[in-house]
Amino acid sequence: MTTLKIPSPLRPFTDGKAQLEVRSGTVSGALDELVAAFPQLKTHLFTESGELRAFVNLFVNDENVRDLYGPDTQLKPGDSLMILPSIAGGTPLQTVDHAALRTNQAFIIGISIAAYVSDAPWLAGIAGLAMLVGTLLKVPAFAFVYRRWLRGWLKPDVLTDNMEPHRFAQGFGAVVQLLGLALLAGGAPVAGWALVWLVIFLAAINLFVGFCAGCMVYYWLNRLHVPGFVKAPPDGTFPGLRPKAG
Amino acid sequence: MKLHIPIDLMNRIRAHGEAAYPEEGAGFLLGRVEGERRFLMSILPAENSREEAARGNRYLLLPREVLRAEESAQRLGLDLVGIFHSHPDHPAQASEFDREWAMPWFSYLITSVQDGKAGETRSWRLSDDRAGFVEEEIRMETEITESRSR
Repeated sequence: MTTLKIPSPLRPFTDGKAQLEVRSGTVSGALDELVAAFPQLKTHLFTESGELRAFVNLFVNDENVRDLYGPDTQLKPGDSLMILPSIAGGTPLQTVDHAALRTNQAFIIGISIAAYVSDAPWLAGIAGLAMLVGTLLKVPAFAFVYRRWLRGWLKPDVLTDNMEPHRFAQGFGAVVQLLGLALLAGGAPVAGWALVWLVIFLAAINLFVGFCAGCMVYYWLNRLHVPGFVKAPPDGTFPGLRPKAG
Repeated sequence: MKLHIPIDLMNRIRAHGEAAYPEEGAGFLLGRVEGERRFLMSILPAENSREEAARGNRYLLLPREVLRAEESAQRLGLDLVGIFHSHPDHPAQASEFDREWAMPWFSYLITSVQDGKAGETRSWRLSDDRAGFVEEEIRMETEITESRSR
């Protein structure tokens, strides 16, 4: 017989019992016995596909079975098997409508290319100023176009994501674009247009590939503990890449 | 479902969230259970074991810490009744991530901390089918005495 110890949050499902005796010779067998005796526990210990939930940890005589043989770990008479939760939680990630972000990128690209083609630095300046104002107002500069006129046409693409890195990316774009404008005004057209094209290029890989370089920089700064950069990438997402839906 | 909290413990929980800002702070709730009512008697602030970069929006309490909390509760003749944690710059609402990781029966006491100042504090319990959280009423008490809670 092995003593199976139940943590307090699961005791309401074991008639209040803090420990039980099980006969099985393996950890998985002991869990099967437990669930057979108290079926309500199943949904809290296992996922719908039958795997142990991420927060469920099993210790045989103070050793985590992950460091032994997992569910196949043998139990000897007199062993104690303990179920211990790790407890996690946290702030909801915000949801971000990526269709609004893509509208913004498309407008920045379009206006900046138009500025280059018609040799109109003021037009590049307007895009830069719009990005700056958008950053200060904490919205994508041209998202209003999407909200007002494009919503019926473009499918919303609402993903679990952080807004701050996108804001930072837009602010970074604004600074580069306005720096380009200053160079154009200062009589350095090659360097000035190069910076405008840098903004076009970065917005384009964001629009077409789904990679936000500014967001990646934000997440690097987060990793380096720079104050103010508090958000980490959504779980399972490479820093800067568009999060997967769902 | 009611969670009775003495004012001084509530103040400590809120101060813990403010001190952890902009990271999340978390800890254990110890108390007595009387049917659907819980009387908070003590708290154990915990170490956030999440990797540093993610502490702005995640907390993790390792199993060994949970064991220590269970043992402390037992020593004090109390039960481990739940977890408190802070939501920096977010409302005091349980998130989808909270739900995936939630233990049944526990009270999840969440304090919203906006710009470093503790705002609203609300308490939640996971429904038995894990489908969602149900809000639990918080009752502030000037003091919870041994006799009051029995």
